[in-house]
Amino acid sequence: MSDHSKQPGGVTRRGLFRTLGAATLVAGCVKQDPGSENPERSEAPELDDALGLTPAPLEFVLDGQPVQAEVEARTTLLELLRLDLDRTGTKVVCDRGACGACMVLVDGVPRNSCMMLAHDVGGSEVTTVAGLAEGEQLSALQLAFIEHDALQCGFCTSGMLISSTALLREGGPLTRGQVEDAIAGNLCRCGTYPHVVDAVLAVANGEGGRRQTELLQVKKGGA
Amino acid sequence: MAKTKLSLGYGPKLETVPVELPPGEPRPWDANDQLEVVGEPVPRIDGQLKVSGAARYTHDVALEDMLHAAVLRSPYPCATIKRVEVKAALDQPGVEAAIAVAAVGDKLIFAGQDVAAVAAARPEQARAALASIVVEYAPAPFVVGTRAAMRDGAPLVHETAVEERRTGADEPGAEKATGELSGNIRPGRSQKRGDAKRALNKAALTFEATYETQCHTHSSLETHGVMVRWDSEDAATVWASTQSIFSVRDEFAAIFGLPPAKVRVITHFLGGGFGSKFGANASGTAIAKIAGELARATNKPVKLMLTRHEEHLCTGNRPDSIQTVKLGATATPGAQAKITAIHVQAHGSAGVGTGAGVGRNASAVYTKVPDVLVESADVFTHAGPAVAFRAPGHPQGAFAMESALDELARQLELDPIDLRLAHDGHPVRRWQLELGRERFNWDARRQAAADMRARGTRVRRGVGCAVSIWGDFSGTEARVSVEIDRKGGVVVKNGVQDIGGGIGTIMAQVAAEVLARPVDQIRVEIGDSELGPGVGSGGSKTTASITPAVRNAAEAAKAELAQIAAEALEASSPSKLRWTNEGVSLGRRSLTWAELCERIEGEAIVAVGTRARTYGHYPKSFPGFPTPEIAGAQFAEVEIDTWTGEVRCTELLAVHDCGRVMNEMTVRSQINGGIALGVGYALMEERVMDPSLGVVLNPNLDQYKPCGAKDLPEISIVLTEVLSGNNNTGAYGIGEPATIPTAAAIANAVGDALGVHVRSLPITPAKILDALERGRQTSTEGDT
Ligand code: FES
Ligand code: FES
Repeated sequence: MSDHSKQPGGVTRRGLFRTLGAATLVAGCVKQDPGSENPERSEAPELDDALGLTPAPLEFVLDGQPVQAEVEARTTLLELLRLDLDRTGTKVVCDRGACGACMVLVDGVPRNSCMMLAHDVGGSEVTTVAGLAEGEQLSALQLAFIEHDALQCGFCTSGMLISSTALLREGGPLTRGQVEDAIAGNLCRCGTYPHVVDAVLAVANGEGGRRQTELLQVKKGGA
Repeated sequence: MAKTKLSLGYGPKLETVPVELPPGEPRPWDANDQLEVVGEPVPRIDGQLKVSGAARYTHDVALEDMLHAAVLRSPYPCATIKRVEVKAALDQPGVEAAIAVAAVGDKLIFAGQDVAAVAAARPEQARAALASIVVEYAPAPFVVGTRAAMRDGAPLVHETAVEERRTGADEPGAEKATGELSGNIRPGRSQKRGDAKRALNKAALTFEATYETQCHTHSSLETHGVMVRWDSEDAATVWASTQSIFSVRDEFAAIFGLPPAKVRVITHFLGGGFGSKFGANASGTAIAKIAGELARATNKPVKLMLTRHEEHLCTGNRPDSIQTVKLGATATPGAQAKITAIHVQAHGSAGVGTGAGVGRNASAVYTKVPDVLVESADVFTHAGPAVAFRAPGHPQGAFAMESALDELARQLELDPIDLRLAHDGHPVRRWQLELGRERFNWDARRQAAADMRARGTRVRRGVGCAVSIWGDFSGTEARVSVEIDRKGGVVVKNGVQDIGGGIGTIMAQVAAEVLARPVDQIRVEIGDSELGPGVGSGGSKTTASITPAVRNAAEAAKAELAQIAAEALEASSPSKLRWTNEGVSLGRRSLTWAELCERIEGEAIVAVGTRARTYGHYPKSFPGFPTPEIAGAQFAEVEIDTWTGEVRCTELLAVHDCGRVMNEMTVRSQINGGIALGVGYALMEERVMDPSLGVVLNPNLDQYKPCGAKDLPEISIVLTEVLSGNNNTGAYGIGEPATIPTAAAIANAVGDALGVHVRSLPITPAKILDALERGRQTSTEGDT
């Protein structure tokens, strides 16, 4: 991941920014300890800690495993997951926070990973769809998705699972409206919503009942 | 031809009818067959892969050494290329190849057209490198509005005859649209019965209105994309996000001058297509050609995945439409009123491409209207081309026709269901309308709506219904193989792709049914051209094309097994054997499945099956085709806040026919999907073009709004099964019929709630307020 960011002529981008010395340029990209944040601080930030276009080290926990990577500042969490960490179950659809297909849990909170920079999750726990199962054992919600046919093409499915997993972790029985609110940011072009709601309700409320279609078969011995 | 008697029909109407079967065809499943697995709500066999994120879609495929491509697109709706230089891109980080796609002198005719492309190690590098490509454009006048393009003197989109790009998702017969171009207008198909113009002149009562529909984008969640790897000079493997593997193979082979057999196409999982994903290229961008050339230039696999923005610009849409509907009727009051003539004149813009049909509602549903004329014309604009979209032409046609019928019914003070019943010749659809009337509590709800209108309440409710027509367009090209090996394993193979309907699961169900095996003991391999000819998933024909071939292959494999069993059990004939989940028996003697399969000579039995041409006996055939006509009707309720114009569809009842139901649960999923698409079309979605810049203003999902979970009504589904003996499983399609009537039913419900019709989709709050204002004005005029 590192050689592609070298500028021709051996000048690294980071070196370039350093010579510019523009504190404003890097101010938004400084890794800070949120506890020590001081808005009145007037001196220029530590340039050694600044993130430029050169990859910088990033550590976080991904699906229960510690990950160490060298990541550029511009790289989104979604790009990192899909391109470098083989988490292709997390999908890219709109790349601007409008569809929920890229959702992951960041410290338990469902987030659109296309709207986060990879460096935003330093020190956090990230769970993708690949981390929802316990080893080979699918979660109750994943099983309910299969059982209720809460997926067709399946492209929205990982995002749907992430939103609803977060909802279920809040505990307690749920109503259809609550589930619909929780998945309001997840687009499904195949229109699987009613079955997603059924699946989540089955897990939350322990309902076994599956929705039925009224099937009017040809009557034997008819006219 | 062998004659057999089958027990066929629908609902309460069951008949014993003679049916001629093609040679070798097993007896079709009819009302006497008690099926164990087929029809059951069997969960998808690939569900585990999809819920765990392990399913690899084309977007997810990664090959060692692969490069990522990006395409530079024209920012101008109309321009001639004066200069294009790609060299500088080669110096950018990670870039390994750069090519010009358009040449100096080429005329580009929509914003988004291919200009140049690069391949780089990382996608962000490829995108960044596009900035260093130098292009000089000479912009020219353009027109993006449909009405504006129809005016005299509008800038011409095409100066010469238009080149067609037809796909397997087009409505059969669409290729006949070849009138002569005049300005930007080209007359297309017409449907004709009797002399509608004359009948209108003679009609005692006439009704005329113009209905408009918007441009609607497919918005499949997986964008179009391919990965091309050259395996040798003249052989390639193409991973494609496609709903028609073999059309990708054929088009890719044609582009690069290869025999089709030298191209392998793989689509293990597909994130939606809805009609847009036929062929190697997309309708407005040559993705396969670009990826193929870049892969050739670099000798590395090249992946080209479109961004959402590009997907909106150049991979297709449902054309807009402007439809003038004229109805003629007798002056007889009330239930005696008869429609004597229908004349529809439709214009629609498919951008620079074609495909603006308006379905067959008028001509084919209302067979009891003696004189019908439907004329449609393509209008060309400087915008991305259309392509088939889930029931091409039909939602537009249904919206106009079904709206006009409702408006006429209001004028005649008739129940709109009665008016439909009086003119629809399809017995199943008539039954569906009656069922819906009862199940939806139609009469009471209409009364309640009338009361709210009379009281002038702020919140109004209303109900509406609309119908659909579709045909069984199944093909015979699939070759399905069933293999049974000596260890007892069963594999069903075909090169068909799963667009999301769950064809693999249904294939397993059919094989399980024939072989009396548990479904989870059947392995299905699909999504690869090497697995044998499949069919494209267009025209709602996948299930009906593939399942009969699966059955034939499974029956042939079973016949071989039966020979082995008959010998082992000393049966006088294989027909005496009894098959169960455990194995096979004759009286008290039996063999387990494992024992039986051990006796297979060689490694495995391999049988190949095909689908015979459609035969059978159906309640009504689709006009012009010897196949069943598929019927459907939907009933919608809406709630409207008359102060804000806010409108919601609160309830929807869908009554559909899909032949014999193969899987009750996946059928329901498809119908839910058709409705969700229709709700978005009715109330929310619209591609907006800027008339002064000629570009799409809302090319991503933050501003182009498909139906979400909270926009969906409460849905109930009734399947009116029809057994027609049309093929040996009795399946036919549902994907397209399910979306045809939704928007029309919602529009009619809005009309019922307001007492005035909104004649334009999407029905936004602003249009509701406009309609209310119109209603107020007409009633004041009426008062004076
Ligand atoms: S891809 Fe992130 S929200 Fe759509
Ligand atoms: S299942 Fe296809 S997008 Fe949701």
